[in-house]
Amino acid sequence: MAAIVSIRNVVKEYNLGKVVVQALRDVSLEVHAGEFLSIAGPSGSGKTTLLNLIGCVDTASSGDVEVCGRNTGRLADRELTNLRLNQIGFIFQSFNLVSVLSVFQNIEFPLLLQQKLSASERRARVMALLEQVGLGGYAKHRPNELSGGQRQRVAIARALVTQPQIVLADEPTANLDSVTGQNIIDLMKDMNRSQGTTFIFSTHDHNVMSHANAVIRLADGRILDRVSPEAIGIQVREAHP
Amino acid sequence: MKGRLATFGMLAQIAMRNLFASRLKTLIIGGIILFGAILVVVGSSLLDSIEQSMSRSIIGSIAGNIQIYSAKSKEELALWGSFGAETELAEMDNFATIKTRLESLENVERVIPMGISGALVQSGNTIDLTLAELREAINAQRSGNSSASLQEKIESLKAHVRQMCLVLHGDMKNLQVLADQTAFDAGNAEAIERAISDAFWAEFDQDPLNGLEFLENRVAPLTTDADLLFLRYAGTDMDAFARSFDRMRIVDGEAVPTGHRGFLFSKFYYEEFLKLKTARRLDKIKEGLEVKGRTLATDPELQRFVKANVTQVREIALQLDSIKTRQVVERLQAFLGSKETGLEPLLGAFFQMDDANFEQRYPFFYSEIAPLLTLYRIPMGGTLTIKAFTRSGFVQSINIKVYGTFEFEGLEKSTLAGSLNLMDIVSFRELYGYLTTEKAEEIARLKASVGVQEVSRDSAEEALFGGGRDSLVAEAMPGVVSAVEELEGTTRTLREKDLQARVFAPEETNQGVVLNAAVILKDPKRLDESILAIQQLSDREGLGVKAVSWQQASGLIGQFVLLLKLVLYAAVFIIFVVALVVINNAMMMATLERVREIGTLRAIGAQRRFVLQMVMIETVVVGLVFGGIGAVLGTGIVALIAHWGIPATSDVMYFFFSGPRLRPELASGNLLAAFIIVLMVSALSSFYPAWLATRVSPLQAMQTED
Repeated sequence: MAAIVSIRNVVKEYNLGKVVVQALRDVSLEVHAGEFLSIAGPSGSGKTTLLNLIGCVDTASSGDVEVCGRNTGRLADRELTNLRLNQIGFIFQSFNLVSVLSVFQNIEFPLLLQQKLSASERRARVMALLEQVGLGGYAKHRPNELSGGQRQRVAIARALVTQPQIVLADEPTANLDSVTGQNIIDLMKDMNRSQGTTFIFSTHDHNVMSHANAVIRLADGRILDRVSPEAIGIQVREAHP
Repeated sequence: MKGRLATFGMLAQIAMRNLFASRLKTLIIGGIILFGAILVVVGSSLLDSIEQSMSRSIIGSIAGNIQIYSAKSKEELALWGSFGAETELAEMDNFATIKTRLESLENVERVIPMGISGALVQSGNTIDLTLAELREAINAQRSGNSSASLQEKIESLKAHVRQMCLVLHGDMKNLQVLADQTAFDAGNAEAIERAISDAFWAEFDQDPLNGLEFLENRVAPLTTDADLLFLRYAGTDMDAFARSFDRMRIVDGEAVPTGHRGFLFSKFYYEEFLKLKTARRLDKIKEGLEVKGRTLATDPELQRFVKANVTQVREIALQLDSIKTRQVVERLQAFLGSKETGLEPLLGAFFQMDDANFEQRYPFFYSEIAPLLTLYRIPMGGTLTIKAFTRSGFVQSINIKVYGTFEFEGLEKSTLAGSLNLMDIVSFRELYGYLTTEKAEEIARLKASVGVQEVSRDSAEEALFGGGRDSLVAEAMPGVVSAVEELEGTTRTLREKDLQARVFAPEETNQGVVLNAAVILKDPKRLDESILAIQQLSDREGLGVKAVSWQQASGLIGQFVLLLKLVLYAAVFIIFVVALVVINNAMMMATLERVREIGTLRAIGAQRRFVLQMVMIETVVVGLVFGGIGAVLGTGIVALIAHWGIPATSDVMYFFFSGPRLRPELASGNLLAAFIIVLMVSALSSFYPAWLATRVSPLQAMQTED
């Protein structure tokens, strides 16, 4: 299977005043389509930085990052934005819904930016997704009328509505209780299976990690290894049906 | 396309939702914009209306649409003077040609010759006028008229003079008390004492001319009620003037007949300066009470008028002879129910008016007392003597018949429009020191009779001092005498009478000196174009005229609206600068608060342009909504003002309002201006915050909530 994300010898440095911090040091990684990949590591190990590079919201200081066949280091802001819009979905730790828009509008938003579908097509797609994430009756609610778990479901629907090749999730369950977090992971796994969407998520929750096909372990900006969850002593659990 | 529309709908929706989410911010920004929009709409429509009515005043009262004057003039034309002084204009060469050529232009209706100048006029005091009348009557008697009515008139006049001397005597006594003894001229007191003595009047009957001389030379100068009046007048073609300025109408008397010399007072000037002061004050009190809604109890100005009337009864007392004095005393006694016998105390009591009795006393004054008085110093049909300095510096004086008074409709109360009186242009030229056709002829005759030769500049020295047999000096000097100065006494009077009666040909108005001229346009809207056409014609044909718009010609007054506009623009500018700063600030805050949201939008695929539009639309929506409300409110306010009308509370305002009330009209331009300004301000003020928003990195989305 072809690599959907290909990272070679990437270094990412941040200038914090006079100090230069290396967030990633010579990282190389390949992700294949359809993977359900977890990035694990302690705080400050570079998980979020790695996700940002893959998500085209940031570019490497050196080395190559190829996403869906495009080298992000060579793309203008405009093209990076288009790449994000069409190929990548985002799920954030704090859900990041637009508070003044309804659930329906939040999910519809990327489709409006794409300007590819008609109003009825958009409606059909949004409503189908809402059913899938179990929020069929909540289309007109505002985000602040929903629980955390419900909000993250809306965020998942928003990430998937453009049918992207990759969905990135940065600590998607960190702000949720364990049961709700479990449900969210189950939902993501479902989507991964049914639509073949590649999921890459960061977490330090072993419970969440156990769902992954593979776990990339990071420490101090370097990839320690790429292992299966079992290999690091996590019992693999199946998603709830 | 549909997608774009939907995106825009989404943008608008986000904007609206955000606006509702932060109502206070929206209201503050909206309030400022609302106020600004109201100010623009109301202010600009008010000023436009003032400008329009002022242009009506200026164009309709004297200026016409365009004024022309000689391009050689060193100063610019200012119809109402400039800083109180008349501007000096060079005369236009060959006005007849200029007039014909300009009137051939397609948009020019008529060209009216003019000249504006001013002079001091001594209005003459009561005792002078009465003595003059007495002298005339005595002369008539001495030349053989022995009718009983004449004798009666002489007696009445004598009684009047005596009465006046008594009044003066009273004044003199008061003065003696007040003034320093050394400053007091004992000779004056003696003269008065003599004038009130029976002996003097017995002597008077024997030798009236001698007595008259004494009175004229010694007593008359002691009265102080003579006024030096400043008279501004325009010399013009009276017929063309009346035809072109159709708001002009004759109030009293009649128009000056075609081809006659004559003078028309502006009604305002006539009332203000020539009417008996007491009567004028009563009129003003009446106007204050009835038109302006003031009361005598509260208004200090009206109280001052009453006080002046009470203390200055002498002006009336001087006018009354003994018979009339008795009549007035009887009438006032009956009216006031008083036993007082003195005229002055009675008048004083009568003029002590208040809000309760004014309504009865005002008509009583006009029906019972005024008929016994001379209300105006110069009656209709009377003669006005005007003395003016000519351009070359000598004093020229003419007697001119007053035919009537005129006013401009809507400008009845305006000091400015009423400050200018009218005279025929032939008299004007004479006063201004230019040769009229007839004077030129007269001088030519004089020259011929005394044998004056033309001396050219080149040969002047030779001719004057050459020592040859034909030295000009000795012979020529007597010829250089003003035609008027030369004629004295009866001859002069006769000549003046002849001049007054003489009819001049209409062509004469256009031949000879003209200082400036009003150009009336067929289509006043094509003002600039027509000025250009006149200027081009003048340049092409060497007419040597300069054309200026009515606004320029009116000098400082024309600039007044410009000044008001500057003030308004400054106010609008300040308001919108404040709006700019406040909106900018508020939007910066809003942007900072929404960094994560904007970052999220960017992360999930929104381009920078989208973010820019999102922020800007928000302010523009506020601008449009509140600007719209402001425009509607402003329109309502203008309509209300137009319904009530802004009353002209001062004379100057009559001129600016072109009538007693200003009723502003709203032009679509005013609304458009408000709309554009509001739109620009909201777009400008949110541009920087919007640009900042586009710089928000999608990385910001990854930040956690805290």
